[in-house]
Amino acid sequence: MAKSERSNLSILIVSILLVVILFRLFYIQVINGDEYRKISSNNFLKEVIVPSPRGSILDRFGKEIAVSEAVVNLYYKRNSKDDLDKLKKFLISDLKIKKEIINKTLKKSKLSNNKNKRFILKENLGLKNIYRVENKLNSFFSLELVVDYLRVYPFGNVGAHKIGYLKSNDRRDIVYGSFLSTRLGASGLEKIFDKRLQGSNGLRFLLIDSRGREVLSRIVSFDKKKVKNKAGEDLSLTIDIEMEKLIYSSFGDFNGAAMVHEIKTGEILALVSKPSFDPNKFSKSISVPEWNKIKEKPYKPFLNRTLLSSNPPGSIIKIVTAVAALEEGVINESTQHYCRGYYELGGRKFRCWKQGGHGKVNVVSALITSCDVFFYKVGLSLGIKNYSKWLENFGFSKRVTLPFSQNRGVIPSTDFISKYLKGKWYKGDMVNVAIGQGYLTVNTVQASIMTSIIASNGIYPNLRIVPGDQEDNRTLGISKKNLFLIQKGLLGVVNDRDGTGFHARSDGKLAGKTGTAQVISKRSKDYNLGEFKNHGWYTSYYPFEDPKIVITVFVENGVSGGRSGGPITKNIVNYYKKNYLAKPGEVN
Amino acid sequence: MIDFIRKPEGKILIAGFLIMFLGFVNLIYIKENSFLSSYSFKQFVWIVVAVLICIIVTRLRLQTIKNLSVPFYIFSIILLIFVLFFGQKISGAKSWIKIGNFMSFQPSELVKISFIFVIAKFYSELGAYSKSYLVKYFLGISFFLIPFALIMFQPDLGSALMLLVVSLTVIISFSYNKKVLIVVGILMLALSIPIWNYGLKDYQKERVISFVSPENDPSGYGYNVIQSKVAIGSGKFLGKGLGNSSQAKLKFLPEKHTDFAFSVWAEQTGFLGSIFLIGLYSFLVVYSLLFLNKIKDSFLQVLLFGLSSYFFFHLLINISMTIGLFPVVGIPLLMFSYGGSSLICGAIALSLIALVVSDYKDVNRLGL
Repeated sequence: MAKSERSNLSILIVSILLVVILFRLFYIQVINGDEYRKISSNNFLKEVIVPSPRGSILDRFGKEIAVSEAVVNLYYKRNSKDDLDKLKKFLISDLKIKKEIINKTLKKSKLSNNKNKRFILKENLGLKNIYRVENKLNSFFSLELVVDYLRVYPFGNVGAHKIGYLKSNDRRDIVYGSFLSTRLGASGLEKIFDKRLQGSNGLRFLLIDSRGREVLSRIVSFDKKKVKNKAGEDLSLTIDIEMEKLIYSSFGDFNGAAMVHEIKTGEILALVSKPSFDPNKFSKSISVPEWNKIKEKPYKPFLNRTLLSSNPPGSIIKIVTAVAALEEGVINESTQHYCRGYYELGGRKFRCWKQGGHGKVNVVSALITSCDVFFYKVGLSLGIKNYSKWLENFGFSKRVTLPFSQNRGVIPSTDFISKYLKGKWYKGDMVNVAIGQGYLTVNTVQASIMTSIIASNGIYPNLRIVPGDQEDNRTLGISKKNLFLIQKGLLGVVNDRDGTGFHARSDGKLAGKTGTAQVISKRSKDYNLGEFKNHGWYTSYYPFEDPKIVITVFVENGVSGGRSGGPITKNIVNYYKKNYLAKPGEVN
Repeated sequence: MIDFIRKPEGKILIAGFLIMFLGFVNLIYIKENSFLSSYSFKQFVWIVVAVLICIIVTRLRLQTIKNLSVPFYIFSIILLIFVLFFGQKISGAKSWIKIGNFMSFQPSELVKISFIFVIAKFYSELGAYSKSYLVKYFLGISFFLIPFALIMFQPDLGSALMLLVVSLTVIISFSYNKKVLIVVGILMLALSIPIWNYGLKDYQKERVISFVSPENDPSGYGYNVIQSKVAIGSGKFLGKGLGNSSQAKLKFLPEKHTDFAFSVWAEQTGFLGSIFLIGLYSFLVVYSLLFLNKIKDSFLQVLLFGLSSYFFFHLLINISMTIGLFPVVGIPLLMFSYGGSSLICGAIALSLIALVVSDYKDVNRLGL
């Protein structure tokens, strides 16, 4: 390019671009100046939230456990054009809104600092009412319909503890106030996965004049959605909600907890706590009297009994006692003890649950008949150090790897004894803990882990409720021979003539252990009465040859594990057979 | 004084100082906090520094400037590398070096000028033994690619874009050849796809998307532009008067002291004030371009051309941004917007233009 050409050309280009800018400025400032001046002096540009739905929580088959439903709400915005008497008449007679609510809203909207605000008149209009209002939107300028999302839990109480519920959010829209869809997870998975489930609210702009009216501008389209709302992500669980529903109803009048998990994957199919609460109640703001009504219910409906209720395990712990004794070489498969119905220690009689005793028993028959005396003796020769070591190996007194708050329970470890018992440990204490009483408490999930270890030949299960990467499983290193003895015992518990778990007996493939935990001392006059009735445990796995699932049922005040937990377990097994094991085409 | 105004360098400097002064007045009327802790005070300090720089630079010999080109370029590249490791992060980009507790500096501003230096020097010396367009393109682009890549790492989209535009303008005008131009154009297009996919942060993409289609704006960046347009438009012909910027005071307008400083000015002084300010810049640019014909030395030619495009593109992109003709990319109005880095670099560019237009005939001072 020649020199002069370069200079002239660049000046030309610069000039053209500058002229474009000047024209644009002229257009904005001089031609449209009046309009922009109006906007800037009298009007307020407001950002308004556009609600977005929370992600759904789905069970393993895609069934909706929690879902956000679109609802249409009716809002009132002050507009001096409207005939208030006509409006009131329409609201009262056509929409059946209470007169007091209308008067209160009108009064509030007249306050000077509320001039731009919207007030909710009626939530969740039905389809009919939506049509009614839509027809009137042209005659009543002060009415507005806004879509919001309500959290709905179709299964209500079932599994509510782990799913959780919502609470109010401090983030209020300056124009519309609170939206249901901005509520936050308050507990359970709703809280843990809150960020993921929450969508991002959209924003749109409202141009509002000093009298609170929306203004439509010819030069800027303000009412367009400026930020699209984005629905939250769905959360799929390993849970089978229909199974949970069945378990919940199988409890009948009983309270308690139950857990079912897959042995190979560690996936939890059911985690149920009863009594429960209806999380739907918290999807809207809840009134104080209603809250008090829920709170004051007996039996603590908010307590998640699967993890937060830690109880004596009763006889189910004999599984650990037996494993420890076999592994430590205290007994072997042929070791026999004689049970005459009680065991005398230091002048005190420790009774077996069966009056008259079991006679000669070995480790397998002692498991089957749940003979206390056998395990008293075994416990004493095992000693507390060895025993608590094995309890710890099985995961007792430790947190389980689920993201919920939990009560880890206690075991009589050396630490515990020196800290709480001033280092004093008597033989009587040992005898008690060997059969799952005394200074030993466990929760339902921990009990399931124990059974899972036995069923899988010593593998510590990697429990989870949200599908994820499989981690390496930890193996406990129990010998095959000893495991076989325990497994044989557990199969007998359900299927042997003398087995304590016969209440769940059906196809001979269930193996398990019952337990009955005393709430107060046997010597008390209230023993096994009312709220002092024994708690029942029933932990089992199925099917015996190729174990697939572990079922643990804890029944509060269930009197006996076999009687209360057995039928529930049987229902679960039948459900599992029908829905998981039935071959395609096979009809049950 | 009148003598000073009659001289070309006097006209240039006075236009520049006037821009600085108006920018300062504008800043004062945005009114934040008290004077001492405010932006205004910091800006005042920077202006003093800027004026000192102008005095020093206009006293230098052109030969010294030429000799300093390469070290200056290398120095600014080192600063760019330094900032990648030790820089401060402000609004998503790691592009600041902290000076004491009070001030910080953006090396990316400096590199925009030092690039012009180095390309001017190389083009002037290249002519002696190579006339190949290809070599000219290749060298020019390689000088620009290093700082461009470093700035994209921060990432500071505005500075990167500015460097790109100024560099390409200089390279294309001084190695003009149709075929090469087409090849470079295709290369740039091919490059833009990976840059869009990997080089840009989400917030930067959103800005571009929001410009291209405001309805699909995922994060509301359109809001800035709407508010800016309301501010500018409401100034009408004569403006609301100084200190009456309601858009800025009510905090409707974001980045009002930096990227959107012009919007506040236009609201207060109207179309008339806007024309006046743009007129000052236009004078600077066109007046220095007029000298291109008279200059014989190719180093001075490229330098002058580069520096005036540096001024022009800041003006063009910043104002287009505020009136919705260009996406919001974070480019200040040189010497008018608040900010020390752009003020100092603007002052260097300004005084260099003044130096070139006053001394270009003086072969001795150039040392040729």
